[in-house]
Amino acid sequence: MSGPLIDFDRVSQIYAARDGSPVWALSDVSLRVEAGEFVCLIGPSGCGKSTLIHLLAGFLKPTSGAVRFRGRPLDGPGPDRGVVFQEYALFAWMTARQNVEFGLRMQRVSAPVRRRRALEALDRVGLRHAADRYPHELSGGMRQRVAVARALVVEPEVVLMDEPFAAVDAMTRTTLQEDLLRLWRETGVSVLFVTHNIDEAVFLAQRVVVMGAGPGVIREDLTVDLPYPRDRGSAEFGREYARIAAALARGSRGADQSDGERRAA
Amino acid sequence: MTAATDDAAGTGLSTPRHSAADARSDSAAFAEEFRRAHRRGLRRAAWLRALLNVTGILLFLAVWEAVPRLGTWVNPVLLPPPSVVFDTFVPMLLSGEIPANILASLRRAALGFGIATATGVTAGLLTARIGLLHHVSEPILHGFRSVPSIALVPLSVLWFGIGEGSKVALVAWGSFFPIWITTFIGVRDVPAAYLRSAACLGAGRLATLLLVVLPAALPMILAGLRQGIAVSLILLVAAELSGAREGVAYMMSTGHQMFRVDIMLIGLVLLGTFGFIADRLFVALIRRLFPWYTTAS
Repeated sequence: MSGPLIDFDRVSQIYAARDGSPVWALSDVSLRVEAGEFVCLIGPSGCGKSTLIHLLAGFLKPTSGAVRFRGRPLDGPGPDRGVVFQEYALFAWMTARQNVEFGLRMQRVSAPVRRRRALEALDRVGLRHAADRYPHELSGGMRQRVAVARALVVEPEVVLMDEPFAAVDAMTRTTLQEDLLRLWRETGVSVLFVTHNIDEAVFLAQRVVVMGAGPGVIREDLTVDLPYPRDRGSAEFGREYARIAAALARGSRGADQSDGERRAA
Repeated sequence: MTAATDDAAGTGLSTPRHSAADARSDSAAFAEEFRRAHRRGLRRAAWLRALLNVTGILLFLAVWEAVPRLGTWVNPVLLPPPSVVFDTFVPMLLSGEIPANILASLRRAALGFGIATATGVTAGLLTARIGLLHHVSEPILHGFRSVPSIALVPLSVLWFGIGEGSKVALVAWGSFFPIWITTFIGVRDVPAAYLRSAACLGAGRLATLLLVVLPAALPMILAGLRQGIAVSLILLVAAELSGAREGVAYMMSTGHQMFRVDIMLIGLVLLGTFGFIADRLFVALIRRLFPWYTTAS
């Protein structure tokens, strides 16, 4: 395939604040992601990182600029782009297996095939034994595993993840991160992963896109050139961590300064 | 000798292993015993609760029996004791008069409630999902909703006569509104994450409606149906009192005309029992049909 898988081309997104004044969620943002890449978006709240995900998922249309997927402009959500939400997105009235089967059902896959593929997908996230449980019978970490299985079973080309592990405890999060990396390597899917956690970004991503707020812009696009699996205790890991932390600090200092200038003016 | 040494060696060697196994089986036995005791405790608590419930009913009946008999300030004709009411009840039951009246009332209530469920859920779904329809229908629906349904009894009799039509129509009218409004709210407030998940997984409009929107709104819809059951009973009574040839409330109004308070009291107990059983059946049905619902939220 020629050209990038994902292409944000000078995208701006404006919405109305409660008092009707315009808020720039994104201002003139350009970003390209190649097939198979693992990219983390990191930045303070209000930097538009979730907006980028929502644009690519097809939930929003850009105010100006273009979002292209495989070279074509987007037209609404579709199964070629899987989404894993922060939480509360599993259908409460379906068992884990039925949740995973949902996308296959929409593709009119026959029931026995659907069942087999759903069980395989659950197996890959280590939850075959919980196939017949309802979401409320699962822990937070297990729910997110089911959500990942549900997104991957329809074989999308990219998985969009909006702080998917933010609501689980630290130990579970580490395991979920390792599982996600394994699935990424097994399937070759692209991942666009929103986080506010530097450690998570350094552990997961090949590229870390550092964003800044007010208006939302991309400040730096850093490559994390470490082999997988990454060792959190290693010196290289610490250096990459410091590099991204510094980029984030530069970004927020810049924002503070412009804030100060605006106040002074 | 040999046996003794064997024995000694045996105990000496196997004691640690043996006690470990013992501890394991001990803990298994303990867990089993604990579980049994726990279940016993739960059972005992349930029995005690049932016993207290029955005691409450018996106490109430005893006071009711005693007041008209002992008090000179209560006219037993106006408040007959339960024994008298029961003596009236048994022949009326055996003659088939009471079953016929119950059947007539239940038929009306069920038919009216069924119509209200079908129309109310449909109206709620459509008005919540189609913005245009919502804004067009909003003033009319809310205007009608604000009219107490009982005020429509005379009009309903004029329009539909004193036959079955007016009763069923009244019940349907009254219970339509709580069902419609709760369905509307439930559908309107379906979490965006559900709708977005469905869209990302390739669900079309119809699949989203049937497999996602309806089940997500179900808790609210069920709350509306439960409220509808209560309302339909109220309107059933109002409709039957305004003129009918059979039914539990009709039986009460004939009791009124014949100055038979005992018959009126039978009607009251029957109506209370209806409401109670209908509500309990409804809750039990929900538990069976939607195992994820009662414990989910």
